[in-house]
Order: sequence, then structure tokens, then C-alpha cells
Amino acid sequence: MAPDISAPAETDQPGADREEDRQSPRDAGNDVIIRGESVVKEYQTGAQTVQALKGIDFSIQPSDFVAIVGPSGSGKSTLLNLLGLLDVPTRGTVRLRGTDVSTFSDGDRTTKRKHTIGFVFQSFYLIPTLTALENVEMPRMLDRTPKKTRERAKQLLRRVGLGDRLDHYPDELSGGQKQRVAIARSLINDPAILLADEPTGNLDRETGDDILELFDELRAEENVAVVTVTHDAYVAEEADRVVNLVDGEITDADEAESNGVVEQ
Amino acid sequence: MSWLRRVAAYFPTVVLARRNLSRATARSLLAIAAVVIGVVAIGTIGMGGEAFKQDQMEAFEGFGGTATVYPVYHHDGSGSINGDFSRQNINRMRQVTDGTTVLPIVERWDTLVQTPTGEVIITAQVKGLDNPGSFYDAQSGTIPDNWKRSAIVGSRIAENNDIQPGDRITVSVNGSFTRKFSVAAVLEPQGFADQLRADRTVFVPLDEFDDPEYDSAIVRVDPTTTSVDAATESIESEFNTRERNVYVQKVQEQREGFEKTFETINQFLIGVGSISLLVAAVTIANTMLMSAIEREREIGVMRAVGYPKRAVVSLLVAESSILGIIGSMVGVPLALGIGMVLNQVLLGDPLAFTAAGLRYVAIGAVFGIGTSLLAGVYPAWKAAKKQPVEALD
Ligand SMILES: Nc1ncnc2c1ncn2[C@@H]1O[C@H](COP(=O)(O)OP(=O)(O)OP(=O)(O)O)[C@@H](O)[C@H]1O
Ligand SMILES: [Mg+2]
Repeated sequence: MAPDISAPAETDQPGADREEDRQSPRDAGNDVIIRGESVVKEYQTGAQTVQALKGIDFSIQPSDFVAIVGPSGSGKSTLLNLLGLLDVPTRGTVRLRGTDVSTFSDGDRTTKRKHTIGFVFQSFYLIPTLTALENVEMPRMLDRTPKKTRERAKQLLRRVGLGDRLDHYPDELSGGQKQRVAIARSLINDPAILLADEPTGNLDRETGDDILELFDELRAEENVAVVTVTHDAYVAEEADRVVNLVDGEITDADEAESNGVVEQ
Repeated sequence: MSWLRRVAAYFPTVVLARRNLSRATARSLLAIAAVVIGVVAIGTIGMGGEAFKQDQMEAFEGFGGTATVYPVYHHDGSGSINGDFSRQNINRMRQVTDGTTVLPIVERWDTLVQTPTGEVIITAQVKGLDNPGSFYDAQSGTIPDNWKRSAIVGSRIAENNDIQPGDRITVSVNGSFTRKFSVAAVLEPQGFADQLRADRTVFVPLDEFDDPEYDSAIVRVDPTTTSVDAATESIESEFNTRERNVYVQKVQEQREGFEKTFETINQFLIGVGSISLLVAAVTIANTMLMSAIEREREIGVMRAVGYPKRAVVSLLVAESSILGIIGSMVGVPLALGIGMVLNQVLLGDPLAFTAAGLRYVAIGAVFGIGTSLLAGVYPAWKAAKKQPVEALD
């Protein structure tokens, strides 16, 4: 039903041949979407420096389902912002398909975000003046392909089970429905990776389960990797991998079920 | 309606902008009202000023080819002041101007005019003139071709003292004559541009003054065929040889001076009117700033999903521009409506718009849109500059 939405392979930027770049061929071979090495993120507040991430490594591959867990203030959102190219690390490197994101200008990062990354937020952040359909179209509204965009947006809304709510405004939708609109929105540009910051945080368990199910289906059908920050144990249970952050460090990032960590 | 939607889909920024404005209707309407006030202020002040000028300038109509030649008085050392044109002087003027109408005028101040009932008209001036029919039209009565032994009265004098053709008035000129004159005609109102100030004058034939010395001479050409300049230049070069003996005042120059004065006043008033547009700009900047702050997260999401900074700037500037465009769209017809009232009052024709007057309405509209656009730039830039991470916290 859906057209081919496998992410287009982005070519490595030529010319960058610093030491770290020797990693690039391996990244390409593994089809790694985004990789971080010794990533440090510091925030400067007045005279004080807060180290939100203290040198962590990570990599995300297609169809991954990674849950990031950890206590409040442990750096989960910070990590997600780096994965989402909303921010750059203070030290260490984050590579998007082998290219160091610190070589990108603000405009480059914006473009990469648009074509590679989908965002889902805890409080949905739908635009209240736009209908469900228009909200889904929003990331592509400036593309001057309104027909194509509309078709794709309708398809995605039907996909998330809201085919009968196209013309509803956000305040006419339930929380779960809003989050499903937001997920449809995050998929409009066929991203390779979907980043969600507590997507179920504002939803009851049942609705949260629906969302998780949706993530699973999307990974299977559209090959998207899903990275989600969560406080909900049942979300982490579903994940292939759990990244447990404590105070800016990964304490247990095993591929195995790490239920013990999640049940904190 | 669906075609409109389809067209609109190609201007997503405008669609988004319009939706955002309709979100805070009251606030948007207030900002629009500010623009409307500014546009109306500039438009109506400009148009009203033009209509007023037009009204005043109408007084100069018909005097275009007219100039007055005055003698320049010199102290000749013997204690008497020589001056005043003699009959000979007037003839020389006629010669050098080659057949142009040259009308000698006697203007006396030591005069007394009395109504038929004997009341003294203190505002009346007495002037001696030949052939006033070549200059003025009668409002009532007739100006005789061969004018002798009657008086012709200016409109203001006639109106204020209820004088009609056929009435007998008494005119006394100190040292010359005291005589009763039958009023032959009352003149049309001439306005302030008339150099003889006919409205306040009682004209008597020149013959009434024996051995006249002329106080001035009116030079007159048909302005549609010749310029009065040639005639006045000839007179000046004829008389002002060794010293300056005549002084020429052209109605045209007076008119130009007037026009300049009006323009200056008008520009000042429009400057004052522009302040209201400045206030509108501040209102819009404030509106947009509030709206940008309220929508910080939304804008953050847009930036996160791939909207470049410039798209955010365009969106907010589009919003402020829409406020300006709507304000101008409301303001222009309003200004034109008020302009029609002004035209009716000042010029007697509601549609008597001048190009200059309409230009001010256009300027008002353009400035209304322009200032709104500019007022949106700072809030837009501020909103776009915000990093999405900060906005989404
Ligand atoms: N903009 C900022 N300026 C200064 N410090 C910041 C900033 N953002 C985050 N921090 C600090 O970095 C650390 C990590 O914050 P982060 O938002 O990543 O935590 P989190 O794991 O997402 O917490 P929560 O579960 O409460 O959302 C915290 O100590 C926080 O105070
Ligand atoms: Mg967080």
C-alpha cells in the first residue's frame, strides 16, 4: 500500500579526512544512521558548568527500537536533542551517516532534520489553528507539492487510525489521537529515525500501548528506527535495547532485556 | 470555494499567517484599527489639504495673464516725492507692450462713500478706472460700454450695505469731487487674488478725476495665447533704465507663492498624521511580539521539523503585512469617503478629487503596509533566532 519509503542513502561529505573519519566506512557498512562517540554535553549556567552527558557512545541502526531511561535530570532529553540534530555536543562527535554534525551549519542541520528525523513530543505540540490533516502536512507545507503532500498525509492519518478525523482541530481530539496525529506528522518526510521524548507520558496505559503497537508496525513497515525517552516500564520492556542513563553516564546499555534497570 | 483552497495551498505561508491572525481576533482587529487610523489620517489630511488649496487657488482663475505695474517713489532732494504715472507714461507702456491692454488706475484713500440713506461705508475704497468691463463681469445690472457718470460697486460692498443697481450713492474724494452716482452694476465676487480688490471697491470713471496721476497700471494679456512676462519685461526695460522706476507684481508669482505656502503647511500636517502610522507600527510590533512569544513552542516545533529561520521570518512578517494590507484596504475607502465630504464642502463636488490628493491616499496605503511589514521584522527575527531546543523545553 505504502510507496517505497526506505530512506535515501546520504552520501558522505568528501574532504573530511580527520582521524575519526576512518570510522565512516564501517558506519556505512553497518548502515548506521547516527553514531555518537565520547559525547559530552555541558551547559554553562552563570559561573557553573553542568555536565549533562559525560562521554557516552551510542549508535542507531534502521528499525532499531531503543528506549532511553533514567532518573530525572540524567540527560535523556539532552541525548535526544543531540540525536535529533537540535544541538551539537560540547566534545566528542555525533555522526549522521558518517558525517560529523559539527561540520553542518545551522541551515544544514535544519535540512538534515527535515529529511532524516521525525519528532514526537510528550505534549504533542500540534498547531491549534490547523486541522489534523494540515498538522500532518505542516513539515512539508513549504515544499510546493501540495497534492503529493496531501495524499501522503491522508495515508499516514489512515495508517494511525484517524482516517475519519482528518478535518478535526487538535482541541477536538483526545490525547491519544493527538499523539497519533503527531506521529503521523513525524513520518510525513519519511524519516530514517523517529525520536520521541516521553510520547506516552501524557497518555493512559491503554492508549500508550496503542502508540507502542503503532511504533512496532511502523518499524516493520517503514523501516524507521524509533528512539524513545520514557519513564514507563512497559515501554522499555518493548524496546530492543534500553539505554540507562544515570547522571550523564550509561550504566547498562546491553542489548539484552535490562528489566532490572527499568524497574527503578 | 475548493478552487480557492487549492490556490491557497500554493501559498502556505499566507494560509498559516492568516490562521494565526484569526487565532487572536481581537488583538488583530486592534492592530488593524491602528493602521486604519494612520492611513485615514494621512489620506484625509493630504486630500483635504489639496481640496482646500484647490478651493483657494480657484480665486486666481482668470487672473493668470495679469500683472500690476507700480511706480517706485524716489526722494528727489527737494522734499517732494515724485512718482505716479502720467498719461504719457501709460502711453509709453502701451507702445512698448505692443497693443497689450494697459489700464491706468487711480486709487485714492482720502475718500468717503455714503449709502443712499447717508450711512458712511468705511470699508469702501474708491478707484478710478476705465473700461472695467474688460476685466469684470456684472453680477447684476450691466457694465456700460461707454462708461460715464455712474458707479460700479464690488460684491462685498454691495452685499454688506444692501446696494442694488439703480441706487444712488455719494462719493467724495478729497480735493477732487463730491458727487452722487447711480449704481450701474454690482460685480461678481473676485476673491483675494484680484489685485484691484474689486470686492471692496467702488469704481468710478477715470474722467471724474481731473488731471489724473495714476497710482498703478494693470497689464493684461490673454493667458491662453501669450505670457504676461513678455509685456512686463518690455515695460521694465523701458522704464528701469538708470534707476528702478517701476515695480511689477505678477498674479502668477503671487499664486506660486501661495501654492508653496499651502504645500508646506500640508506637508507639516501630513507629518503630524504620519505619527499615527508610527503608533500603528508600534502597536503591530507589540502584537507580533506577543504572538511570537505565545507561539514559541509551536515555532520551535516548526524549526525542529525542518523549517529554516527564513521561513519563520517570512511567516511572521506575512502576518504583520496582512494586518497592514487589511488596515489599508479598510482605510483607503474610508479616507476616500471623508475626502468626498471634504470635496463637497470645499469645492461643491464630491468627486472633485485631484491627482495630488489621491496620491496622498496611495502614500497612506503604501506606508500603512510598509510600516506594518517593517514592524514585523524584529519580532520575526527574534522568534526565528530562538533555538528549537530552548523553545521546546
Ligand atoms: N539549557 C540548559 N541549561 C543549563 N542546564 C541544562 C539545560 N538543559 C538541561 N540542563 C541540565 O542538564 C541536565 C540534564 O537535563 P535533561 O533535560 O537532559 O534531563 P532529563 O533526563 O531529560 O530529565 P527529565 O526526565 O526530568 O526530563 C540537568 O541537570 C539539567 O539541569
Ligand atoms: Mg527530559
